[in-house]
Amino acid sequence: MKRIELAPGAYLNLLPADKFNRCRVNVQLRYPADRARATALALLPFLMERCCADHPDMTDLSCHLARLYGADLAVDSTAAGSGRCLSVTVGGIAPRFALSGEDLAGEYLALALGVAFRPHFADGMFLPEEVEIEKEKLAEELAAEINDKRMYCLRQARRRFYGSHPAGIERTGYADEVKGLTAETVTEAWRWMVENAQLEVFCAGIPEELAARRVRETLAPLTRTPQPLPAPVQLPAAPLVEETERMEMVQAKLCMLFTVEDFQPSRDLDAMRVAMAVLGGSPTSRLFTNVREKQSLCYYCAASFNSFGGMMCIDSGVLPENAARAREAILHEWQTLCSQPPAEAELEDARRFVANSLAAVEDSLAAQETWYSGQLWRGDTAAPDEARRALEKVTADEVAEQMKKFRFAVCYLLTKEDTAE
Amino acid sequence: MNDNTTALREAARCEKKVLENGLVLLVRPMPGFRDVHVMCGTRFGSVDRSFTVNGERVDLPAGVAHFLEHKMFESEQGDAFTQYAAVGASANAFTSFDKTCYLFSTTSGVDHALDILLGLVGHPYFTDETVAKEQGIIGQEIRMYDDSPEWRMMFALLQGLYHAHPARDDIAGTEESIARITPQLLYRCTDAFYAPGNLVLAAAGNITMQQVEDAVRRAGMDGGQIPDVQRHAPAEPPQPAKERQDITMSIAKPFLGVGFKEAPPAPQDRLKTELICDMLGELICGSMTPLFRRLYDGGLASADFGGEFLSVDGALCVLFSGETRQPETVRTMLLEEIGRLRREGVDRTIFTLCKNQMYGQMVCELDSTTGLAGALCSSELKGRSLFDEMQALTALQPEDIDAALQTMLCTERSTTAVIWPEKEEAE
Repeated sequence: MKRIELAPGAYLNLLPADKFNRCRVNVQLRYPADRARATALALLPFLMERCCADHPDMTDLSCHLARLYGADLAVDSTAAGSGRCLSVTVGGIAPRFALSGEDLAGEYLALALGVAFRPHFADGMFLPEEVEIEKEKLAEELAAEINDKRMYCLRQARRRFYGSHPAGIERTGYADEVKGLTAETVTEAWRWMVENAQLEVFCAGIPEELAARRVRETLAPLTRTPQPLPAPVQLPAAPLVEETERMEMVQAKLCMLFTVEDFQPSRDLDAMRVAMAVLGGSPTSRLFTNVREKQSLCYYCAASFNSFGGMMCIDSGVLPENAARAREAILHEWQTLCSQPPAEAELEDARRFVANSLAAVEDSLAAQETWYSGQLWRGDTAAPDEARRALEKVTADEVAEQMKKFRFAVCYLLTKEDTAE
Repeated sequence: MNDNTTALREAARCEKKVLENGLVLLVRPMPGFRDVHVMCGTRFGSVDRSFTVNGERVDLPAGVAHFLEHKMFESEQGDAFTQYAAVGASANAFTSFDKTCYLFSTTSGVDHALDILLGLVGHPYFTDETVAKEQGIIGQEIRMYDDSPEWRMMFALLQGLYHAHPARDDIAGTEESIARITPQLLYRCTDAFYAPGNLVLAAAGNITMQQVEDAVRRAGMDGGQIPDVQRHAPAEPPQPAKERQDITMSIAKPFLGVGFKEAPPAPQDRLKTELICDMLGELICGSMTPLFRRLYDGGLASADFGGEFLSVDGALCVLFSGETRQPETVRTMLLEEIGRLRREGVDRTIFTLCKNQMYGQMVCELDSTTGLAGALCSSELKGRSLFDEMQALTALQPEDIDAALQTMLCTERSTTAVIWPEKEEAE
């Protein structure tokens, strides 16, 4: 990846894309989580994906995307510990596939920058009637959280895990604050974000000169004082929080979260990647093999580590009557790995699994973007190949050492109404 | 859309060989890619419930194709995931209504991974004990899907439309149906559908046809005969099985579904009919349509309210679904819009833009090893090629849609389902 600083706190990241059939532009605005503006910021993706100054009508924007051979436009918000990111992504077919010689690269760039920095305003703010429509959509989305039981369980567990820490500020806003949003408050949140955010623009298949010029032109009229981003989170160990919620459902969901201590990405991340694969990140992991396959205690059971949020998550889908046994079996696998480093063959399998995933990153534009995006949150630009080579040095003892850094913090069980504890 | 699709033709190009035993090999080398994605598919899915193989009739309980998919990963040497892990490959499999596919991706040890894949599809191994264990795991999978409103809606509509066609049954079956599965039953299925002559092997990425042919030879899959298999379909009347169903679940907002039962097309018309069905959802309630805008701005339906279709042997249907606080109002608006388009014809501008969009989707699908191998395998299992699909899209005209609307999406052949949140009353 080639990285160019275009202005203070504004970078252009160029990814090679010659072998792909697509182009892609991703504009990321990264800022510290802000409790007071959380709900207004959560409404922005709804308003920005609907229209922009160049395409002020929602249907017109849809037709424009279809004219660009079904280009995708997505405005999303994501979290990285106490940091938040609003990203505008436009992707579509590479110019060589255009049937009438359209300048597709230029169109994608114009659309992504337009959606991010030139919203559809009237009298200097979002249109009140559009704000009202999208408030309804946000409120419905928040209410619909319970539709996806796995995700709902995970979110409920995360709320207990972070409590009032900034990392726990809801990326999707707060239901009881939606009604009070106005065009003024949402516009203020957008202006605050644009002024304070670090800007990372990823371009794949877009000529460097064109991308640099367009981003500079876009930023020129804006007053920006980008703020430093928060450091990765590491919560102190705390007494275990256990909670059970009941609703009408068939398969129970069990989410177990763990704090991490003394985790330094530059020192520990390679070993942690392998450790996660051994514990629960692959189809030959201990959780999959022992808890699912041998004991039939769950349908899925996976472990993942969030280095920005300082959290290991093990989530599983279990029969309601098996939840307690599944919890104990999962803890047993974790504790065993803490006390007994994996055998060499198991370590090699896990290493190969991670190495294969890293080697494949360069075969996907989205995967490359995700990789470098994560790296930049850590202040790093190392390529996946460097991380792949570093795996060779990871030892079995280091895997066990990583596991010992965790403390069991939250156990959240979502289960059906009539199940005994 | 004009016919200047040279770049797409190049992107979809692949080498194809059909061995004397019927095994189809499709390989697309992709310069510059490290990854290899290989998919081995058979035209055996959840709707294949009754067949005669070598003169013997076999009737299956629901869920056998999916059950078989799980069991094929086991051999006398252990499970295939462990073998794949030894070369660093990621493996998976899936079962749909009309096919079962086994796949892997890897950036190293491709030849070894090919041996594992062909070993697992070529050497089935089932025992009473392993079948019993899998019944427990799949029982949990079935329960997981029972909590998904989208999944429940799809099968509510299919059960509302079909009296006897197996598309009405969950792909994974039920806990009761899979309890009837035995090793002997599974072997009958592999005899019928897992012989090399029934398989398609598609590969894309850093791989050559020579590597694939060598692997087939090593696996001993270059000989044998295509088994004599006849599939049997139950009689299915044109009218839907149920007019309406109301269901409750723990969800936030009602979920509406409207399904339309269509006459299955003749084989030569199938591709064109499927393209028309694909486009109908966009033309009726896609984001460029006036109906979408009325539903969205009026707060009547979520942005993902839309249409999809199912086309398998003996069954064709178009399904519309999405969240709405006013299911009856939205259903009425949908039926009225279909009626208007039937009378007035589809909007020519939106039609052209839809074609553009579908062309772009085809290009994007061929952008990755996964997408390309999957598309090659899927097209071949349907008896066509990516070129055929491209040509059919280019040839499609708005008059084709207008003509189709005269006989399709009729209210009298529709079914409605609403999933209500717990404790919420119907309108």
